[in-house]
Amino acid sequence: MIKVYRSAIIHSPVDTVWKLVRDFNALPKWHPAIATSEIEGGLPADQIGCVRRFTRRRDGGLLREQLLSLGDDTRTFTYSILVSPMPVANYVASMRFTPITMQHATFAEWWAVFNVTTFAQQATADDIGDNVFVAGFAAIDKLLAGRKEAQ
Amino acid sequence: MTKVFVSAVINAPVQEVWSQVRDFNNLPEWHPKFSRSHIENGLPSDRVGCVRNFDIAGGGGTIRERLLELSDMDYSFRYCILTSPLPVERYVAQLTLYPVTVGDKTVGIWTAEFDVTDGDEAGVVKAVADDTFGKAFEILNDRLGRKT
Repeated sequence: MIKVYRSAIIHSPVDTVWKLVRDFNALPKWHPAIATSEIEGGLPADQIGCVRRFTRRRDGGLLREQLLSLGDDTRTFTYSILVSPMPVANYVASMRFTPITMQHATFAEWWAVFNVTTFAQQATADDIGDNVFVAGFAAIDKLLAGRKEAQ
Repeated sequence: MTKVFVSAVINAPVQEVWSQVRDFNNLPEWHPKFSRSHIENGLPSDRVGCVRNFDIAGGGGTIRERLLELSDMDYSFRYCILTSPLPVERYVAQLTLYPVTVGDKTVGIWTAEFDVTDGDEAGVVKAVADDTFGKAFEILNDRLGRKT
């Protein structure tokens, strides 16, 4: 098993961040790498066990991920990969958002545990850590900062 | 039960912040609210169960706190109050540091739970949240933070 952990400061209040990311079907609204998303079977996006079916922008690659847990008080959710173009197996990831009271900002954490099925393990870990997790944090920060200015 | 939650960004790597705060006996060395400290019975300050005995600066009285848990893996320690001038009971607090991988910084989270036994609850909360925990994070960032 390999573990990837990334964390960042998002310069918006935690309730604002959580409202955006809590929606398991909202990846295309904030993650630059994702083009489309739908929840299979028309289930609500906060129903545990629901599956999001989404595509990568760069190559149309299909991913299916299942929601395993969602906590509004801990602002945490966990999901597993069912289908992915990435060479991974047994992939379980979590996101957690914690208020930073003294700066009115958010501490965002994203981590995953998985096996790599082909390919150099570290290259895959770096790809997920930087191009998925860190790119996602930067996009949330930019998106919400833009909204603040627009108000 | 009253809960206090204070968190802050410290613009320094987590190992640096941890080496400043890990010693259960050195709070007065860096926190201006406190003075003089010793570990009772000459125990090492990282021995779980040890008691620190220190003063609130300016004659504010003596506090005794017991170390309940210390984790170098999680950059975290938990302790309870045994004796304090504050009107609190069942006081348990925890400080945890988290690495911020983007930018190599630290997020500190300091929490406490307790019962206020007498008088002004808001005043007690302020003494804990702002004057102790919040002040600590300001000082740590002033001391250790990269000036950017």
